[in-house]
Amino acid sequence: MASKIITFTLNGHETEVMVKPLTTLAKALREKLGFTATKCGCYEGNCGSCTVIVNGEPVLSCILPVEEVEGQSVLTLEGITPSVGLHPLQQAFQENFAVQCGFCTPGMLMISKALLDKNPHPTQAEIREALSGNLCRCTGYDPIIVAVEQVAASTNTNQGGTHE
Amino acid sequence: MTTQVYFRPRSLAEALGLLDEHGPAMLVMAGGTLAMPLINKGISRPEKVMGLRQAGLDYVRRVDGGVHIGAAAPLSQVRTMSGVPMLAEAVKNIAGWAVQNMGTAGGNLFAPPPAGDLAVALLALDAQVKVASYRRGERMIPLDEFFTGFLTNCLALDELVVEIQVSKPAGKTVLLKYGRLYTNTPAIVSVAVRLVANDGKADDVRVALNAVGPHPFRARQAEAALRGVALQAENIAVASNTAAAECEPFTDPIASADYRRRMVGVFVQRALAQAVA
Repeated sequence: MASKIITFTLNGHETEVMVKPLTTLAKALREKLGFTATKCGCYEGNCGSCTVIVNGEPVLSCILPVEEVEGQSVLTLEGITPSVGLHPLQQAFQENFAVQCGFCTPGMLMISKALLDKNPHPTQAEIREALSGNLCRCTGYDPIIVAVEQVAASTNTNQGGTHE
Repeated sequence: MTTQVYFRPRSLAEALGLLDEHGPAMLVMAGGTLAMPLINKGISRPEKVMGLRQAGLDYVRRVDGGVHIGAAAPLSQVRTMSGVPMLAEAVKNIAGWAVQNMGTAGGNLFAPPPAGDLAVALLALDAQVKVASYRRGERMIPLDEFFTGFLTNCLALDELVVEIQVSKPAGKTVLLKYGRLYTNTPAIVSVAVRLVANDGKADDVRVALNAVGPHPFRARQAEAALRGVALQAENIAVASNTAAAECEPFTDPIASADYRRRMVGVFVQRALAQAVA
């Protein structure tokens, strides 16, 4: 079957993309729309680096056909990064050395954003459970947990997102 | 071959019609957490794919203390909405948050061990599986009879899993999953126990296991060893040893078959002890 046009809201903006059947959201974002913050590590739903937020819920964009987000609201790292400065999570990741090679970071930030949106003051156990599907081979995880805890401890948890 | 068409039926009738029309040449998926990795890697190269997300099967309905779960209900919805604690516990231990948002209750029945841990809880709860065909209508299959081997089941080529039904659970339920990590970890063994005790004896008991056989299954010999006997440590030990003897564990990068068998003994014993306490 021929390609078709899928329409969805990307980071607050109506977006159209023309794709072949079963094209993944990650591929559409990266290769068709130029939104390359989202990374693909494993292409099989194990590493979490492709995590984006659809209608408030974290999903793995490398195993999600873009047809499934027709009419839905997709949030990527580009969507939470302010035009000037950093999102509080980005700031905390930087300050706590929660980034080394950086490949897992977009997924880590999006799953953390999803968590804090639903639960602004999670326990460390809740943070670890929420982030358990996101692999990092550099940091040993603790700096990432500390960064999320730091943002959760600040009273401005809900500030800084440019959308949602 | 790249995929030529991705069908997204808007109703069960439409889905069944598409399956009738295209047959087994069409790959059926719900959340895609099993199928999409294989497609991404080129291991599976289906010409036609049908996704069930829009087919009206994504419900979780509480019914008289039990629950009816649409086949395409996301696992996260089962976790929060089923009202059955053992199902919530089972989902909590399946993969990570994003996969729980995508993977479905029906799809999990098709996950090869050591994955597929929802079924171990469902087996202990005597779940029934409603399946449907375009030409032959619906039928109910006890989950206990659903699996026939590794990656095989009794579903006919023209049938879809439509719903999973669980009645209000009688007795006490315990679910234990043993893996290498606390969360998001493949099972070394998963044990689900449901125990109806009467006067210190086991009236009715289910012992379901996963990751130690070709599919999730009930340890029937262990169940038989417990039925009608006093729930004392020595009888529980006998049942645990029986379960360890009757399972068919395998070796994979997570654990050896021998270790898995030993852990069946340990974790069936623990689960039963918790159910008795």
